[in-house]
Amino acid sequence: MGYPSTGVQKSRIISADIPQNLMVESSSSGSRGAEDSRPPSHIADVTDRRDFIMQDMISHTGTSPREESQSHAGRDTDLLCATVGSQSCSTPHGTQLPNGNAECEVSKSSHLGGSHLKGEPSSDSLHGALNVDGVLGVDSCPSVPLTSQSNSELTEPPQDGGEIRSIGSGHKSNPQNSVSEPAHGDEDARSSPDAEPYRKSSGSPSAAVTRSLRTFSSSSFHDSVSTSFSPDDGEIFLTSDRPDGSKFMDVSLVSRNTYEISRRQSAPDNIPTTLSVAASGLTLSEKHGIPEMFSSRSLFSRKQRETTSAPGWKLFGKVPLRESPPKDSRTIRQEYEAKVTKSSPSPSLPSQSQRKNMEFEPMSTTALILEDRPANLPAKSEEEAQRHRQEYDEMVVEMKKRELKDAQKKKKQMKERFKQEDSIANAMLVWNNDILPNWENMRGTRRVRDLWWQGLPPNVRGKVWSLAIGNELNITSDLYDIFLSRARERWRSIRETGCELELDDSGASVADRESSLDVIKLDISRTFPSLFIFQKGGPYHDLLHSVLGAYTCYRPDVGYVQGMSFIAAVLILNLEEADAFIAFANLLNKPCQMAFFRVDHELMLKYFGAFEVFFEENLPRLFNHFKSYNLTPDLFLIDWIFTLYSKSLPLDVACRVWDVFCRDGEEFLFRTGLGILRLYEEVLLQMDFIHIAQFLSRLPEDTHPDRLFSCISNTHMLSGNRKWTQVFNILVKD
Amino acid sequence: MDALWQYQFRIILLGDSTVGKSSLLKRFTDGIYSDVADPTVGVDFYARSIDIEPGVKIKLQLWDTAGQERFRSITTSYYRNSVGGLLVFDLTNRKTFDHVREWHREVSEHILPHHMVYILIGHKSDLGSDRKVSRDEAEHLAAELGLRYVETSAKCNSNVERAFELLTRDIYELMKMGEISTRDGWDGVKSGLTAKVLYPAEEVAEREKSCNC
Repeated sequence: MGYPSTGVQKSRIISADIPQNLMVESSSSGSRGAEDSRPPSHIADVTDRRDFIMQDMISHTGTSPREESQSHAGRDTDLLCATVGSQSCSTPHGTQLPNGNAECEVSKSSHLGGSHLKGEPSSDSLHGALNVDGVLGVDSCPSVPLTSQSNSELTEPPQDGGEIRSIGSGHKSNPQNSVSEPAHGDEDARSSPDAEPYRKSSGSPSAAVTRSLRTFSSSSFHDSVSTSFSPDDGEIFLTSDRPDGSKFMDVSLVSRNTYEISRRQSAPDNIPTTLSVAASGLTLSEKHGIPEMFSSRSLFSRKQRETTSAPGWKLFGKVPLRESPPKDSRTIRQEYEAKVTKSSPSPSLPSQSQRKNMEFEPMSTTALILEDRPANLPAKSEEEAQRHRQEYDEMVVEMKKRELKDAQKKKKQMKERFKQEDSIANAMLVWNNDILPNWENMRGTRRVRDLWWQGLPPNVRGKVWSLAIGNELNITSDLYDIFLSRARERWRSIRETGCELELDDSGASVADRESSLDVIKLDISRTFPSLFIFQKGGPYHDLLHSVLGAYTCYRPDVGYVQGMSFIAAVLILNLEEADAFIAFANLLNKPCQMAFFRVDHELMLKYFGAFEVFFEENLPRLFNHFKSYNLTPDLFLIDWIFTLYSKSLPLDVACRVWDVFCRDGEEFLFRTGLGILRLYEEVLLQMDFIHIAQFLSRLPEDTHPDRLFSCISNTHMLSGNRKWTQVFNILVKD
Repeated sequence: MDALWQYQFRIILLGDSTVGKSSLLKRFTDGIYSDVADPTVGVDFYARSIDIEPGVKIKLQLWDTAGQERFRSITTSYYRNSVGGLLVFDLTNRKTFDHVREWHREVSEHILPHHMVYILIGHKSDLGSDRKVSRDEAEHLAAELGLRYVETSAKCNSNVERAFELLTRDIYELMKMGEISTRDGWDGVKSGLTAKVLYPAEEVAEREKSCNC
């Protein structure tokens, strides 16, 4: 539905001095997620860049068998995966991300960590959230790198590791020093926006590289993989020896399993080797004599070292934020995984299944890293080191426990969801097979009323609404066609004469004036903008236009009123065109709707009055609170009643309200209002006038229908002995 | 929740439907603009503070009304409790300009004997080529009604702050002159906890007045 979260809503409440240069965002806070569905521009940039890069890559690329077998069908990531050739991408089940990028699901870890490595443009990497690259000068905006890159390093054609690292990207761009912009960009973007610092490996000596890369993609890769390394990890180990004798970097700088890597490299002993990527990067580079390769990287790591003073504890947030923690988490996770798989099989199971189930979440244990004290400081005593290791182990165990719990919780949620879906499916059968065929008889039964309260199954909803609203007006589908064609004629004549019908001057009624094309047209594009279906060009635009237009022809005395578009829209979402029109016309014909849409002020005041009676009865504290601010019900009820809550409540919740409104009539609308006030009573009691008013016009996204309905059912429309209708009638008589 | 403010002014936005009242407000209070937003049904509320002079913070409580004519009967009750009003028309829509007079008249009649300070706003100034109302004309009308005139664009963020500031300042000056003051039963102007009394005749002393807003 794309409604913005309440966070957005609250931004409206900014009353503190706002700096004069207010930032210009493209979304409006007030509306329900008007711009939410648009992908952040930088992602789009990256996508484009990637496309571009892909081209480049493809043209340069040697052909790894993988790559060829990969369908080039467009998705960059798939190709990237292919080129990377890592086993991780053997089955690219590309997932299409909303922003248009597909991601190759390798495994969470590889995803997360290796995004830059593999150059997968997963949205995560784009956001630079949990990106190992983060360390290397996170820059989530891909647009930056290109130029800077070309200028930056390129110090030296990193021979091996360098390229490899930028594995995914490296693949081709390097070969011929295509130190051309695209290539650069390619590497970067491939890796991830954040990879620029990495970039490095620009023009590397060709052939050797290409060859080595190819080698990489082939079996040697597999050979070099450590046993504890699960295929799913997607770690990229480049360990094959290159013909020219230099060694590939064992570690993916991206640091995927730095722990593992560094362990393998240094003596596989008890003493934990440096686990930080940076550190390992440095180590490695030193070992392999390719310091420049990580020029920017190592710079970074050096900085890191400087700040690390005492015990090498790097606990999320505890350490002065050197690089972005996410990077660590990735590394850490790797390490943890390595550790876990090494130690005991069982714990790794949940973690593995977690990995599979929870896509882009790093494991919390990844926040823990046990680091070696930097070499430039006096070494720890053995006891101290021992003690630290112990503490570390304990922490890890704790974290593991917590993660298990989280995983269980998630599982439970999934189960509940399935249960819910099941019950909807069951309900559907009941409605379709038992109830609808015997509608007249069944509609009043207790059983049906209860089922109704629980919410109509989506594909039964339209039908039931239609039946419940009825067709007192006896409108037929033919009648609709007639009014629709009248409306079309009018629009056509307006278009042809090129001007609005100047009905003002002819003394036509207000309603006539208002049924002008403009007002309707504009309102339509403003209806549920986040759904993007009613806007011009959208699938339901014309439909909405037709229904509203036909209505103004059918009821020129009412015309078009702002708020109607929401009602018509919801009906259109649930019914066929003619049926939607019929329901719309009959719905608006109900007394309450008529009173409001014709803006019969007197009558509206009676409704408000009745509402207040029950408000005071049910929520006396809140009632007084509102009174003290002179916050009269009209200030929030008008919006609620006019739009039948479709503007203020999340759409799915609004539909539940409509369900029971169809069952119980207008009283339910006011009862719902009280239910809402009850649900948020505590919150509202804390607010002042303006905040209450704002809150009520945009209720929180996470308003849960069940909680709301439970509050509604606790709201008793009884004042003294009198029910709603009685109270209302008394007021009317006055 | 808010920083301490000395006064709160309730300001209402008036004008035909789709002239851009909501956009103006969103730009002013949230700093954002969007081509599409939900139509206002009834009233919408916004808030923002302005430091009108050192030590004097005015909290603006902004009421955004539905512009459709038939909502007028509802919204007139809101006029009464407002101290300031932005009369907004769309520079690219002649009709909306023609209706300004009507709005002004209607509102003024409704709030007698109270006082409302207005400012005339020609909105959507960014759509230069579609302009249907000349600056001259608008200025004439403004002069005739005794109002200031400002051309604004929420889209380009042009003069939006200025418009609200000018109006706020005008109200504040009138307060200093004693022409406007807080009143029981009137929500147009409220004093904050540390409001200074502005009436020229009285001493400028700290006056504590508990206030519910």
